[in-house]
Amino acid sequence: MPERVVTIVPEDGLHARPASKFVEAANEFDSTVKVGHVDGDQVNAASMLAVTGLGAAAGDEVRLTAEGEDAEAALDELERILTTPEDEL
Amino acid sequence: MTERRLSGIGVTPLSGVGSVVWYAPDADLEEPPEPETIDVDAETDRFERARDDAREEIRAERERTAERVGEAEAEVFDAHVQFLDDPQITEGVEAAIEDGLPAEHAVSRTFDRFVEQFEGMEGRMAERADDLRDVRDRLVRVLVGGDRVDLANLPEGSVVLAERLTPSDTAQLDPDRVAGFVTATGGRTSHAAIFARSLALPAIVGVGEGLHDVADGAEVVVDGTEGTLVVDPDAETREAAAGGEDVEIREEPVETADGTPIEVAANVGTQADLAPAADRGADGIGLFRTEFLFLDRQSPPDEEEQYEAYRDALERFPDGRVVVRTLDVGGDKPIEYLDLPEEENPFLGERGIRRSLGPDADLFETQLRALLRAAGDDAGGKLSVMLPLVSTVEEVREAREVLEAVAADLEAEGVDHVVPEFGVMIETPAAAFVAPDLVEHVEFFSIGTNDLAQYVMAAERGNSRVSDLGDFRQPAVLRAIRETVEGAEGTDVWVGMCGEMAGDPELTKLLVGLGLDELSMSAVTVPQVKRAVTETTVADARALAKRALAASTKAEVEAVLTETTQ
Repeated sequence: MPERVVTIVPEDGLHARPASKFVEAANEFDSTVKVGHVDGDQVNAASMLAVTGLGAAAGDEVRLTAEGEDAEAALDELERILTTPEDEL
Repeated sequence: MTERRLSGIGVTPLSGVGSVVWYAPDADLEEPPEPETIDVDAETDRFERARDDAREEIRAERERTAERVGEAEAEVFDAHVQFLDDPQITEGVEAAIEDGLPAEHAVSRTFDRFVEQFEGMEGRMAERADDLRDVRDRLVRVLVGGDRVDLANLPEGSVVLAERLTPSDTAQLDPDRVAGFVTATGGRTSHAAIFARSLALPAIVGVGEGLHDVADGAEVVVDGTEGTLVVDPDAETREAAAGGEDVEIREEPVETADGTPIEVAANVGTQADLAPAADRGADGIGLFRTEFLFLDRQSPPDEEEQYEAYRDALERFPDGRVVVRTLDVGGDKPIEYLDLPEEENPFLGERGIRRSLGPDADLFETQLRALLRAAGDDAGGKLSVMLPLVSTVEEVREAREVLEAVAADLEAEGVDHVVPEFGVMIETPAAAFVAPDLVEHVEFFSIGTNDLAQYVMAAERGNSRVSDLGDFRQPAVLRAIRETVEGAEGTDVWVGMCGEMAGDPELTKLLVGLGLDELSMSAVTVPQVKRAVTETTVADARALAKRALAASTKAEVEAVLTETTQ
């Protein structure tokens, strides 16, 4: 299963705005996408509650995994969101 | 009655006087009926219908907020829709209904579980608890058919007190009627605080439990500078807050203590910013961003719609100047119908004037037509047109040719118009270097300090790792400002500044000394900057600027600045 480890850039971490963009994007792909701290549990990337519940801060490393036809495209887009400063999203 | 004081965190440097209106959204539920009496299918249907209605409400509120407060503030409502539709919420509510709870109780129980979880987390994550409560209360209200408390129609001079204000609550507050708000919880970065700053409302957050002892109807002073709520203020306190030194609004233009006039104007990013700008005594608009007219829609605004918007702004400032910046978009601001290219470095890519002279040439022409027509209107105010992200003389020459062609077209069509003052933003080092050559083609410069600092220092604005470099107290930034002012010396070209640097009253003296003719900032600090201008003499200011320009490090610049304020 394709996976990627990404360091979070938005300075306040995965809070409302970046989290919202992240969840929105995860919902746009057919693949099932999961996200979690590198050494923690994986949660559903299409759930706002689950994603904000991670409490992921700037500088944290998270692991993204995707399963499905468009897995690589989904990972590309989600990685882009996690590595873009908040005011450019 | 003697006055009492409560302290919290002041979030705007503004004061207000008024009477307390306690706001407590009523979400109390009666005891649930016996589980056996619940029709699971009917309750599940009720929940689903309520969710559809709530979603509609949130979307409508999002639109209103984008219009009144701003696009960035409105995005919190996107998160609300996502919480509403979250699979974990749906599962939780359905399971609770299966257990025999009516829909409203099922909603309440499910959300409360997550609210608790978020309350235990740190920093901005704890604010998600507020969002969840907001969504929960909305769903419960829709289910029990309750009316929402109408915060938009409070009596004039109300000071709203609440345990907390959700984004939905805050978006309803009408700055023309409400004298301020105070909450028991919340911090500087809470939604309520951000909204207060955008709407220029006096506000204090985080006062704590003691707030609940303040009675409905009590007279209070909200001192947003000190973060103090004064209950039953005596006459002196009340007067100080209403017209006190801290917030004296000067309607008239100001000059330095030795008689040099300095124009103090406001930056506006949405139509909703116009009223606060006038109320705070701005002489005019130093930066009218036009992006808001183009965002969040399927096609660009037509000439008529733009003309109306520009005329509205001129009518607010019948004796002032309104500097309208032409559309400044690029790879970093998404507008679907413009089909912006993906770029490796959007800040160094096709943005601002580069698009207006390239792929967006038609839009540029339409915008200029609307601007020339508005300038020709007898609204009274004087309209100026400003180009963003200029870096060469050719760009300005070419833009001027378009301007003249548009004027010739309007003339041929017999449409009323005036060719307005024409200027450029100085926000690239290139523009600062060629300032002496640009003066032949423009009537004014306006220095955009946020972008200028970003480009001079090669340090991205949004990146906290390099924020120390992107500071406008860096000697290189000050010298770029000097280059610009010197470029205009001995000509009729006036030099203004729009950007955060202009809005810091502690830097006013330095900016006067550097030779700025106009300062433009968010409306909130206009009175403080006007006061700072009147307390400055040009001779002192020049001496200060000279010392600051001689400094070789940011620390030395800061030392020069603090030395003189002591």
